[in-house]
Amino acid sequence: MSINFKQIEDKLKTEARKLLEEGKVSIVLAYGKGYDEKKPMPYVVRKTSDIENIVFNEYCTANMARYLVRYPRGTKIAIAVKPADSRAVVQLIQEEKVKREDLIVLGIPVYGMKNFKTGETIDSKTTCGIYNPVLYDILLGEEVHGQPVVSPYDVLVDYEKMDKDGRWTFWKKELDRCIRCYACRKACPMCYCDPCFIDQNKPKWGEKSPESQGNLMYHLTRFHHLAGRCIDCGECSRACPVDIPLYLFHKKVAKECEEMFGQAAGMKIEDKPALVNFRVEDSDKILE
Amino acid sequence: MEFEPKILGIACNWCTYTGADLAGTTRLQYPQNLRVVRVMCSSRINPSFIFRAFQLGADGVLVGGCHPGDCHYNTGNLYARRRLAVTRKILEFAGIEPGRFRVEWISASEGNKFAEVVREFTEQVKNLGPQTKFKIK
Ligand code: SF4
Ligand code: SF4
Repeated sequence: MSINFKQIEDKLKTEARKLLEEGKVSIVLAYGKGYDEKKPMPYVVRKTSDIENIVFNEYCTANMARYLVRYPRGTKIAIAVKPADSRAVVQLIQEEKVKREDLIVLGIPVYGMKNFKTGETIDSKTTCGIYNPVLYDILLGEEVHGQPVVSPYDVLVDYEKMDKDGRWTFWKKELDRCIRCYACRKACPMCYCDPCFIDQNKPKWGEKSPESQGNLMYHLTRFHHLAGRCIDCGECSRACPVDIPLYLFHKKVAKECEEMFGQAAGMKIEDKPALVNFRVEDSDKILE
Repeated sequence: MEFEPKILGIACNWCTYTGADLAGTTRLQYPQNLRVVRVMCSSRINPSFIFRAFQLGADGVLVGGCHPGDCHYNTGNLYARRRLAVTRKILEFAGIEPGRFRVEWISASEGNKFAEVVREFTEQVKNLGPQTKFKIK
């Protein structure tokens, strides 16, 4: 069995048309034609005449949950989500950035998405390795069953073998290449702070020019702010123009948080984000 | 010359800071490498404080709070515990010695423990040597 992208695209168009015509939503967040097949764009559908521009193919990796927080509260939005993206929606609901009742979630069960730069399949490498959305109102396509289940943390094997100095050299080398374009934070559904801590001047948290120390400050703090919230969509790493494997660090922190706090980000609406929650029985061991 | 580390202490007003006061009034000796900053609660500590301290030249950071369950604001340190645990992990994953960062629960009556912890931690940081990875040149 393989995914029929054309079929999903057609269903997406039909559902979008239905929702807009019935006036159930004022915006549909989906994917639109880019300048070629490999570069579909995030696309905001506002009127029925926009619908013909919707596309869905294996390069539609963008996480549309990124755009949810841009609209005023109460805007009725339909959003097309892939499995990882649905976790972002759940996480945003947990964080009370959007309301469940304002959303119509169009779930897309999918695998075999490809990175447009390298053409490689990204299942579980830079995404969270699930094939069905965790939250949806309308499912576009059949649920995926029988795909090999890969742990999202498998890619960490090499990284985990490194010792302390190895890790330091690795991250120093990688982070030194950062040009501070902030594409990672623009692509991330969980990075919605305005202003971002690194843009603040009073207090000034870190150097703003692209040099090692400032980069380290920006990235370590960003990793921290996403601890227990990163839903592992991998968009940050794909957005990065110099291909820094940010996902490795995010995955490592996510894995650790899952072990320490017993919950993965964005899986259940009833959960509270791990770092704004506590259990009395948390032990001091986590501090060691 | 022997290396004298600079250590930033961030102490909660209700327990650790008072504990430090007690250590002072009971004339306990402890190394002078510690510079203490007082905050109202250990959950007031933004993890960026710690990263920033390292950037601006601290060799170690010691955070003190009330024992879990004793927080003046009931639950502050329970949040702080989770948050600071993550901070520690992040330092570790980036390859920075996690031994440069420590969280201790010290109550207002534990002047002795305060002096003991500072002594121990200073020794530990001394052994790790100057912190250069994070520091802005
Ligand atoms: S940090 Fe990266 S992988 Fe995590 S949610 Fe943000 S964009 Fe996705
Ligand atoms: S996208 Fe890449 S280069 Fe741009 S700020 Fe993020 S890590 Fe740096």
